[in-house]
Amino acid sequence: MKFQKKLARAKQGIPTTSMPDIVFMLLLFFMVTTTLREHDVKVVFNLPEAKAIEKIENKRVISYIWVGKDGRIQIDDNIVKIDQIQKIMYAKRTDLPSIIVSLRIDKNTKMGLVTDIQQELRKAYCLRINYSSLQKAG
Amino acid sequence: MPQIRKKKIREAEIPTASQADLAFLLLLFFLVSTTIDVDTGIGLTLPEYVPPEEQVKVEVSKERIANLLINEAGDILLDNEVVGLQQVLPKIKPRIVEKIELPANKKLIVSVKTDANTSYNRYIQVLDQVKEAYFEVREEYAQSKWGKRVIDLNEEQMNEIKEKIPIIISIAEPEVVKK
Repeated sequence: MKFQKKLARAKQGIPTTSMPDIVFMLLLFFMVTTTLREHDVKVVFNLPEAKAIEKIENKRVISYIWVGKDGRIQIDDNIVKIDQIQKIMYAKRTDLPSIIVSLRIDKNTKMGLVTDIQQELRKAYCLRINYSSLQKAG
Repeated sequence: MPQIRKKKIREAEIPTASQADLAFLLLLFFLVSTTIDVDTGIGLTLPEYVPPEEQVKVEVSKERIANLLINEAGDILLDNEVVGLQQVLPKIKPRIVEKIELPANKKLIVSVKTDANTSYNRYIQVLDQVKEAYFEVREEYAQSKWGKRVIDLNEEQMNEIKEKIPIIISIAEPEVVKK
């Protein structure tokens, strides 16, 4: 007797009609939780590590100043000189009074430069700053 | 007589099979172009800038100030006494604690002063110790008073803790050194 292979009657396959909906949900989630990458960082830096650090909740009020290993200062997408900081930051503060300046400074920078930048920030009335640092393990 | 055929109405449909792929592409684009990393760091509020000729000297009793000096080599001087990095926290902590119940104008001020050649890393390490001391005191206060951790406090309690244990860190005015 010949056995005939029985074919399953029920259709096999995962229903994919709702897949776009699921993916769109994911997409929406990402759009809401993230912010666009705004800057091209041109300087090389290693952040210091610290234990007692805080998170900045509102990313939209943050403005960054980078200081690289070679001591170059970057604001937005430009390398700037120290005496330009005051003018740039003052303009930023007029637009956004609750501005927080996040200082992303290389850990081997000399304090002299950091103090100079701080003085410029004080003159520009950008008084809330944040020394960006990484979480130290342990 | 030719039979009149009923015209079959074709169903108009937009093919949706590729919609998932499109959505995935969009998703990928957003994943690549956005950032999720939370910005973390040590927060500080700078004093307002006052031109040197308008500066007024205010006498502050020595009892209130913890003077931290960091030199070029990274040695730390706390109130004229050389201390190691790990000693900063235990030395400052009791001084914060004993001033919890004092009025606002008698709270501890931590003054940090650095040399122009001190490394930024060292400065952050010391500042971190000071901040940690403050956080520990706040944590203990919240624990003993409400039995809660600081992050679980409500707004009213948070305000009280901020009033009782304010973090006052003063960055010393840079001095012009005559050569």
